[in-house]
Amino acid sequence: MTRPAGSPQEQESVVPSQIVTLTVNGSPRELIARPSTTLLLALREGLGLTGTKRGCSQGACGSCTVLLEGEPVVACLVPVLTVDGASVTTVEGLADADGGLSPLQEAFLDNFAQQCGFCTPGMLMSSCALLRRAPAPDRDEVEEALSGNVCRCTGYEPIVGAVLDAAERSRVVGRSGAGVATSDVPVGGH
Amino acid sequence: MLTAVVVPEGLEAVQAALVEESRLLAGGTDLMPRLNDRATPPTRLVSLRRAGLDGIAVGADAVRIGATTTLARIEDDDRLTILRGCVRSIAARPVRGLATVAGNLFVRQPHGDLAVALLALDAEVEIHGPGGPRAQRLDQVLAAGLAPQELVTGVRFTPPQTFRYHKAARRRFNSASIVTVAAALTVVDGVVRDARIALGGLGPRPLRCETAEGVLVGRPLDEPTVRDAARAAETVIEPFDDAYASAWYRRRVFPVHLRRALLGR
Repeated sequence: MTRPAGSPQEQESVVPSQIVTLTVNGSPRELIARPSTTLLLALREGLGLTGTKRGCSQGACGSCTVLLEGEPVVACLVPVLTVDGASVTTVEGLADADGGLSPLQEAFLDNFAQQCGFCTPGMLMSSCALLRRAPAPDRDEVEEALSGNVCRCTGYEPIVGAVLDAAERSRVVGRSGAGVATSDVPVGGH
Repeated sequence: MLTAVVVPEGLEAVQAALVEESRLLAGGTDLMPRLNDRATPPTRLVSLRRAGLDGIAVGADAVRIGATTTLARIEDDDRLTILRGCVRSIAARPVRGLATVAGNLFVRQPHGDLAVALLALDAEVEIHGPGGPRAQRLDQVLAAGLAPQELVTGVRFTPPQTFRYHKAARRRFNSASIVTVAAALTVVDGVVRDARIALGGLGPRPLRCETAEGVLVGRPLDEPTVRDAARAAETVIEPFDDAYASAWYRRRVFPVHLRRALLGR
């Protein structure tokens, strides 16, 4: 089917593309992006990293949360052309190189902290960032840190429990930052 | 639809990029949700991500915050505890990691709680335009806006003796304002010597409430005084209906939240 001339789709097809370089989960990656390509779209469709989910595209649901230079952000609101050269950690970067789950992921499993699983990557990334900022958070801090991540199964209780459990496990084994990725992204809240 | 996204390095390059018709993009938390909808006219964005406008400087009696400093960075800065309660009341961390100080000045009510706080702090806004830099008080910037091709480069304020911030929302975290009250006070021997009160959720933009301030000054900071101040504010506020609350409700609960802000109870 041909589209009418001047339709938004046609206009978009003549907009020039650009090559963008990102360090994703510790590895240099390149992709071709248009002005309208968000970081979310770049990860999912440019790089095939579909762990990061597209929920609302309005920054309201948190399902696309990734770490951008170590800071959790909603990837749907970031034009990827503005972050050329940046370091990004996605849910795929939480596990070890050999596929072993991080303590945070283990805690999610053991606490039954997912039902349909759609919000889980965003929940994990927000939790991971929290545990880097505050390795021993109290319940209130966990609830605040997850307040931007919506779970439509409404399974919040076990998710909050899993984050607290992950922090406790890290304390017991004397490690800091239960969800810290294996890549060398900057750690901390800046 | 986005036709171009340019990311100029430094303020001069930003200024040059603004010669073409474009929109400024800071954190994008207000603009991008609208642009993600394809039904927008062709738009060229000038991103401030590499403009070099972020940073926090805390001097002996003055604070300066760069325009593109994120709310998350303010939240984490132990020198800026005065604003911590305010920024933590705004959205959630993955949005605060993008949202900027200057952007918050221009979002529509009931958002813009940091602008309410900065209004009570009598902040001065640093502005840069084709004619060079200028500075203007925040209340005037909120009322008049900026000229085309001008942009905010930073805000600065002097911390007051006492600063109070209180926000009523439907949820404990991540919810827009029903009523926001920010107040800068100087209290000597229990008597208010100086007061600046700013309100959110109670008008088309953050409101400075000088009539209530006039009632407070010279009187003890107690319940009768605060009740009179709320009554004086009644003619100034212009509450509105939205999904969070009705105008009637906002007007009805405003005195309660003014009291909680000023007296902590």
